[in-house]
Parts: sequence; structure tokens; C-alpha cells
Amino acid sequence: MKVTAKVIASAVAAGLLLSGCSANANSNANSGTDAASGSTTLTAAYSEGGTTLNPTEANDVTSDTFVLAAYDQLVTYATQEVDGVKTANTAEIVPMIAESWEVSDDDTVYTFSLRDDVVFQSGNTLTSADVVGSFELIAASNSASFLYGMAGISEVTAIDESTVQVTLTAPNHLFLQILPMYSFSMIDTATVEANGGAEWLSTNTAGSGPFTVDSWDPSTEAVLTRYDEYWGDAPELETVNIKFITEASNRVQLLAKGEVQLALEIPAKDVASLEDTEGVVVDSRASNKILYFAMNNNIAPFDNELVRQAVSFAIPYDKLLTDVMQGQASAMTSSVASSTPGFTAEGNEATYDLDKAKELLAEAGYPDGFTFDFTLGSGFQDWSDDAVLIQAELAKVGVTMNITNMARAQFLEAIATKQVQSYISRWTSFVNDPGYHLGLLLTADGTSNYANYNNAEVDALWTEASTEPSQEKRNELYGQAQEIINEETPWAYLYEYNIVVGLQEGTEGYTSYPDGIVRYSQMSVN
Amino acid sequence: MPEIQPKNLRSRRRTSTTVGFGRLLLRNKLGMVGLGVIAFWTLGSILIGVLSPYGATETGAGPLLDAPSAAHLFGTDNFGRDLMTRVFEGGKLSLWTGLIAVAISLAIGVPLGGIAGYAGGWLGSVIMRVMDVLLAFPSLVLAMAVAAALGPGTSSAMIAVGIVGIPEFARITYGQTVSLKQREWVEAGRALGLPASTILIRHIVPNALAPIVVRSTLGMGYAILTAAALSFIGLGAQPPTAEWGVMISDGRGYIISGEWWLTFFPGLAIATSILGFNLLGDALRDVLDPRLRTTA
Repeated sequence: MKVTAKVIASAVAAGLLLSGCSANANSNANSGTDAASGSTTLTAAYSEGGTTLNPTEANDVTSDTFVLAAYDQLVTYATQEVDGVKTANTAEIVPMIAESWEVSDDDTVYTFSLRDDVVFQSGNTLTSADVVGSFELIAASNSASFLYGMAGISEVTAIDESTVQVTLTAPNHLFLQILPMYSFSMIDTATVEANGGAEWLSTNTAGSGPFTVDSWDPSTEAVLTRYDEYWGDAPELETVNIKFITEASNRVQLLAKGEVQLALEIPAKDVASLEDTEGVVVDSRASNKILYFAMNNNIAPFDNELVRQAVSFAIPYDKLLTDVMQGQASAMTSSVASSTPGFTAEGNEATYDLDKAKELLAEAGYPDGFTFDFTLGSGFQDWSDDAVLIQAELAKVGVTMNITNMARAQFLEAIATKQVQSYISRWTSFVNDPGYHLGLLLTADGTSNYANYNNAEVDALWTEASTEPSQEKRNELYGQAQEIINEETPWAYLYEYNIVVGLQEGTEGYTSYPDGIVRYSQMSVN
Repeated sequence: MPEIQPKNLRSRRRTSTTVGFGRLLLRNKLGMVGLGVIAFWTLGSILIGVLSPYGATETGAGPLLDAPSAAHLFGTDNFGRDLMTRVFEGGKLSLWTGLIAVAISLAIGVPLGGIAGYAGGWLGSVIMRVMDVLLAFPSLVLAMAVAAALGPGTSSAMIAVGIVGIPEFARITYGQTVSLKQREWVEAGRALGLPASTILIRHIVPNALAPIVVRSTLGMGYAILTAAALSFIGLGAQPPTAEWGVMISDGRGYIISGEWWLTFFPGLAIATSILGFNLLGDALRDVLDPRLRTTA
């Protein structure tokens, strides 16, 4: 009895110790069936399993990846090659399902001529009825309907079998930018109706895209297979295995060992060692993905502008960039990312200055500091590192930050209630435009404005800009809005991420898009 | 003849054997090793505030991710915090969690088991079946459910682990009570008209203590492990509190990149402290059991 108890105790403790070393069960699940040496198969490691296949509801990178593989849109972004790497040129819109379009003189009526050779994966030919039906599904959805409104769409009508007319409420510079998004995929409406409606789309696809989603298990992996009757350029890859591996270090290991050819969400601290690994290429590019520290403007003391500004002076910005992100991020100086046209840092004075922070706190009526609750969503090592550093700095000015960990799913639900006192979150504007960005995040009606920022002047500027046809005038208006936001500090600006993708040497064709989604139809493996 | 008042009758540990108990324990070498380990962690965690020049949450106390060196015996973590200070601070929390959790289990489990065993009948059955239901859950899962319901935090972890330990103590006390209530002195007490509570508290429980004491020491070790597991998954201590489970969880991502000390030292702390409690528990059982066999 004595010996057994000790053996068991030691084994349990050792097991706890070593549990971190063991490979995730998922990583070995199908490794036997992978043809990593095959030139038409690509295996990728993603961090999340995705939530839905429905184009009008998909919102996270993994779900969006499936949608873009299985569906086409009316138009798409052009690509360009800069310094030997391919990037999307979102300023240029090129034909996809629509082979051409005309705009009326007052910029409110768009007439699209559709290709006649687009065939859905079900065998049905795409007609204008499908386009009209798809827009109806979008308008009726929970997620994409907001974009429908933001694009200013008033009416969609079929002129004939291969012509569709879209009427806008007013001239809208975002319309053509929003059409290439995954939310505006063209859906085989006949198949959807035959299967009972939009519900069916969450676990099935009805698209015309270059791949079919052969299988999808959000807890292990998904398999995409090339659709051989695709109307456009056939993809080089025949099979794409996407494995869902939640542990970042596991993804890094798999890439380093060559078991996957592509890995997303590489932690900053592993970039250096991966770059040194033979056979691995790390593609790290500045992006418009921002990380911000939100303070709920409806919950004291963050309803006081001076308090929010004080917090913004207590954040160790340089430490975040060097110690936490290790150079894989750059400074964020406005609510809008620096790579977004129309960006301005006017009005932003925040730097790391504890004395100024103390001064502002005293002015605000909190000379001895205060205590507040911070909710930390799990899953991102840099978020939790940032939180600890910020907590330590705030403690130096007498402010106590109570951190509560929350699993990601609960975290997303919690912040959507708009009652979380403070949190860190990241955001990528898939349409690289301040109108899109500010509209969703910082206008009073913005569906992602979880910090309850409400400034009537900002709203008025945004509304005016949304129908302004001249880009110069628009950017001026957005600049004024940013200046107000920078002064009122609803957020503290942490940093702008680089989008880091790990690739096996020989994996070609990766094109970086603002949405960070990989288009497998462009890729090949040597 | 003076009337013998029932309330003056009281069970007592036999004095002749009480003297030898301590000496017997001291002679048990492994038990002393266990006691030594526990003393090491207890004293270390109490004194660390005085002994260490660093704070447990002091970021930048040293270079980031520094390997163990003279200045930092256990190395530093990714914020430059001294790991040794954190490990001993964590010891304070872990030991405290163990104590409170076992106290909760004892305070609720022993009376429940005693009542169930003494009363028998439907009351006893109901109580013990409820204990069975709790025992049916894997203990870590039950602890997770309770901690999640209470919200993340160290007090939730303490309460959760305490609740998980109740059925075991209830069972032990039940078993002891059922066997002890057959004894003549219990019958005598009943014949004298002593109320059930008096019999339970003054006569039965003192004699049932031995296995409960042993179980308590083992329970401390188990409580430390479960609390660490809860913190590992994020339900226990919140940042920047130093706690062994949290430190292992945070250090996980660094094993592959070579910063082994982040998980090694907290893991070693958990392993040795549980071992210490187990060795002590074994020694106590060796010392206490034979005594029960020799009692009349």
C-alpha cells in the first residue's frame, strides 16, 4: 500500500509535468493518410475549427476560408506582385461571376452582366435569379445584413437571365469594395430551397467555387477537394487538409517537422526559431489587424474621458512591441490602422508616461487610483502577456486591474452584451476603408462597438462621408472623426499585428489579403 | 453511593498508548522525510517575503527568460519575474488551499457520515446515496463544474476542491460509526439515556478519528493537485497571482523552445509536496492503525 501510494503520487505529478510535452491527439489523428510528399496535396494547421459554412453568417477566419474555397462572388480583388511577394490590390476590382458592369451617372445604379458558363457544384447553371436570391439571403441574415446596409443597397432586380441591376440608396464608395467579400458569395438558391432554406447552409455548401468541402469536423480537421468542372482556372491543388490544432506550439512543431505545409497564428516568440529552421519560410507582413484595449464608456470610471486618457499614458507601448510581440507588430497610433487610406494620428498624444498618468488621474478625481475589472479572452498568448504588463504598470499609479480569464467562446458572448468593463480585442477590417472600420467599431450603431463609444459629431462625420463620392473629401471627414476619437480615447491603442504565416519551402502562391484568409485556388506545392 | 451523572462519563484515549504515539511517529523514517518536505515548503512560503529580494509579481526583476543562475536560482519567466519567489509564493497559496479544502470536507463530511451511520434507516440511506452520486463523478470534472459555476478565482477553487472531498470523509466516518455503534459503551450510553448527539460527539467521533486523520493528510496532497489542475485550465488563480498550476500552464508553450525551468520547478514543487503529504499520511496510518487493533 505504502509503495503503491508513493508510486502513484510520483507518476501523477510526473504526468502533470510532462503533459505539456505530449503532442496534441489531433496532430496524430490522420498523419498516416497525409501524402505530404504529394505535389497536389497541401496540409495546413489552423488554430480554430470554424463555426459555420453559411456565407452570410461566417465571420471567423476558418469559416471564411471554407466559404471562399467553395463559393464565388460577383467581383473580386486584383492581385499584384510587390518585391517578389504577392499581395491583394484591394483598390482594383476585377470581374469574377460578373464579366462586366456599368455604373449610372449618378453612381447609384450598377448593372452587372453575368457570365453564362458558371455552373454550381450541384450542376445547376447560375442565372440572375440566383444572384437576386443570394442578395435576399444576405439581407435576411444576422451577420451579413449589416454589410448589406453599409453598402447602401436598396434594391436588386434581374433584368434578364444574365443581367442584374443593383440600386443603391445613395452613391456609396464601399459598395464595390464589399462585393468581393465572402459574405456576398453567390449561392445556388434552387438547392437551398430544395433543402429547406438557409439553415441547411450552415453545414452544407451550395456554391460554384473551385473546391468542395468534402468533410468538416470542427474538432479535428476539414478536407477540401478540387472541383474539376470549375468554370474558371483550375486550382493546382487537388486536396487540402486543414487540421485544427489549438496549441500554438504544436502548430509550430508540425511546421518545423514538415508535417504541414502551411501554419497560421504563429506566436511571435517562435518566429525567430522558425526562420532558422531549414525548409521553413516565415511570411510576416504588416497588416491592418489592430489590437486595442477597450474601456467601456458606459461604466464608471471609464465614462470619464480623463480616466481613459490616464490609462492610455500608463501603457508600456515599447515593451509590448519588443518583449511581447518581438518585432512582429508595429505601433498603433489611431483607431484606424496606418495602412488604411485616410489614416491620421492627429489628436493622439498617448505615450508611456506614468507621471502624466498620475496627473490626469488626480485631475479626474482619482488621486489614489481605483479598481476595475478586466476580462481576458483565452487563446492568445500575447493578449495575456499584454494584460499582465499593463496590470503591473497600472499598479504603479495606484490603479488595480482585476484580471478574469474567460474561454474564447464565452468571451465573445460576454463582450457582445456591451457590459464588460474593459477587455482587449483585435480587429481586422476586411475592407481597408475607414468608413467600414469606424462604422462597425466606433459609431453609435456599430454592431461591434462593444465599448459603447457614442459621439454625435463622429456619427455625423461618418454619415456624411458614407455618401461622399470624392475620396479626398471623404478622407478629410474621416480624419476629423479620428482626431475626435484620438482625443476622447475610448480605447488605448496597443499595436498593429503583422500577419505571420509559416510555409514549407516549395509551397507557392500565398497571396496576402487584408482579411488574412488563404485562397487555396492560388496555391501549389512543389 | 454517589450517583454517577451520565454527563461525567466520557470516552478517553488510553493514556498509556498516547505517550508512545509521538515517539512511534518520529521513529518512522519515511514519515519524517514527508514531514520534513512539508515543513520545508511551509517555512519557505512563509519566509519567502523576507528572504527574497524580489517580489512575486515584480516584472523586470531580471532579464526575460533567464536560465537558473546565481542571481535567480530558479530562473526568470517571460516577464522577468523571479521564478523562485513565485514558486514559494505559490506554495503559500497551495498549502492554504489544501488546508481550507480539507477543512471544508471535514466540516461537512464527518458530521454527515456520523449522522448517517448512527441514525441508519432511511436517513442514513438518503445521505449515503447522495454521497454516492457525488462520488460517481470523476473528481476533477466535479471540481471543474463547481469552480466554473462559482466563477474563476482562488476561493472558488478552494470551495470546489472542498466539496469534492466531502463524500470520502462521509464514507469513512459512516463506516467507522456503523462499526463503533455496536460497542458496549455505546449501548451503555444509550441505556443511560444519553442523547444521540452526545454519544456521537463525545464517544464515537474521538474513536473514529484515526482513519480520518490519515485521510486528511492524503487529502491535503490531493487538494493541492486538484487546485493546481483547476488553475492550469484557468478556473483557479487569476494573473498575476503566483500559483503552481498557473505557472505550469503558462510555461507550457516554452518547453519546446527550451525554457524548461518554467514548468520544471512548479512541477517539482507539486510533486514533492504531494509526496510529502503521502509519506506523512502513510506513517500516520502505520502508527495509528495498530493501536486501534489493540483497543478493547
